[in-house]
Amino acid sequence: MTELPVDLEARLTAAAPAGLRLIQNTDAKGVTVLWCELADKNDLLGVAQEIKAVKGRLMTISVFQPTPPESDDDEEEDGDEKSDDGEAVPPASLGGIAIDGKSYELAYHFDLDGATLTIQVFLAADAAEVISLTPLFRNADWCERDYMENYSIHVIGHPDPRRLFLDPSIEPMALERLIPLSTLVNAASTKALWEKIISHQSDTPS
Amino acid sequence: MSTYTIPVGPLHVALEEPMYFKVEVSGETVVSVDITAGHVHRGVEYLLSKRTIFQNITLTERICSLCSNSHPEAYCMAIEQIAGVVVSPRGEYLRAVADEIKRIASHLFNVGIMAHLIGFESLFMHAMEIREIMQDVKETVFGNRMDIGANCIGGVRYDLDDDQRSWLLGQLDRLEPQIDELVGIYTTNRSILNRTQGIGVLSPAEAIEYAVAGPVARASGVAYDVRVKSPYTAYDKLTVEVPTRTAGDVWSRAMIRLSEVKISIGLLRRLIEDLPDGPTAPAERPEIPAGEAIAKCEAPRGELIYYVRTNGTNKPERVKWRVPSFMNWDALCTMLKGARISDIALIVNSIDPCISCTER
Repeated sequence: MTELPVDLEARLTAAAPAGLRLIQNTDAKGVTVLWCELADKNDLLGVAQEIKAVKGRLMTISVFQPTPPESDDDEEEDGDEKSDDGEAVPPASLGGIAIDGKSYELAYHFDLDGATLTIQVFLAADAAEVISLTPLFRNADWCERDYMENYSIHVIGHPDPRRLFLDPSIEPMALERLIPLSTLVNAASTKALWEKIISHQSDTPS
Repeated sequence: MSTYTIPVGPLHVALEEPMYFKVEVSGETVVSVDITAGHVHRGVEYLLSKRTIFQNITLTERICSLCSNSHPEAYCMAIEQIAGVVVSPRGEYLRAVADEIKRIASHLFNVGIMAHLIGFESLFMHAMEIREIMQDVKETVFGNRMDIGANCIGGVRYDLDDDQRSWLLGQLDRLEPQIDELVGIYTTNRSILNRTQGIGVLSPAEAIEYAVAGPVARASGVAYDVRVKSPYTAYDKLTVEVPTRTAGDVWSRAMIRLSEVKISIGLLRRLIEDLPDGPTAPAERPEIPAGEAIAKCEAPRGELIYYVRTNGTNKPERVKWRVPSFMNWDALCTMLKGARISDIALIVNSIDPCISCTER
């Protein structure tokens, strides 16, 4: 199906002197997915240059704050069993950033002619800075603006760090705050439906 | 020559959804464009992390109307990867059927609106009347004209019996000659050609630079289609033709969409005729372990990508998606440069804008 560049792993390894962890899976339909964790966020630009050199295309950037494995506050979760199967999040990322619920994980998804390569970078909450990929990928502009308004991450060298979808009057870090559901859905309704239900209840013998 | 700035939007007759363009013009010519987005930002990504994995199938379907099948499809595919669920052959074929039905209806809507923006109202109504065949198909097969609720984790929620299959093939036979007639009109009519050829041009190099997707990319010579490049559901068993053009103008984009309607009719016939036997979905809901996955599909507007991360609880930790329109907006600034004011609406429509999808 998709022919990956033969020297892809060597290129990525050479571009990330601090170390990386690369996993490759191909599904039954021949679609390849690669996951590459970087130990040091400063290797990101070099790695991105290599991806650009093999005609990679930036698809999007996903950002989130992974929850720490054991302290699930309101979910009834048996944390001990999960951490044994290797799938669970380790207490610290590759490169030693503690997963404390405040640190960030950035996943840069690239397309390599059908295969998906995800580069994962970890940022500590007190050093939430990452370099912009806009010099390499034109479309990183909107992707970075998109996460900048949702998380308090500083993007170094972004040419146009304005708000994208959120109005400037809205508080920043929209995805780091608790937003009550009623605020989120802008809940407003008349009493008409409620009154109809109540009147129907009184009609039917209980 | 001095320039001045005119607003287009946020509420504009030519746009079904709100988007605000600050257009700097010199005389009748566009010099630059600044886009102010966010009028229909609803925080759906946040909301998804507050609902259960299964509730989110319904929620993702409501992100957008025209590609409402692609969102839950990609979301389900990501969850299936995490849970190790394999979709049955019949389920895969039925997913592709739903995909292609939505694609035909979406493309016809866009080319119809193009005729409306030209002021060719009879053609607009004609295109919408043809599209009505597919709307009726959706209503008959799925019970709804827009949100068809076809997908569930592990397969589909609908089935086609023999009567429905032959009825569907009959509807395709009704549709196809009308599409041929429509292609003829869009290829030869002077009003269409004069208004749409050579405007809103995106060169092949710019298409790659902006990383645009779908018919916008294919009209600029980029032969990329997720169904071919990273096949999903039943597409590995089909030969999907990928039409491309190189002019990269408004007309080319419309013609790509019309070609794709024809191709989708062919794909639907194959899917319906070869429909394998077996279950459509697993009898029980699977356990969703901790994990992460990426799923991609070819929505009517191009590549849709979902990233899902779960942590073993019943709510997803993070769901992020990027719709094809997301890159097309930025590319619009290039397409509009040098255009006449009177062509702005036509050029904006040519990316098949989906604002609810983009702003989420």
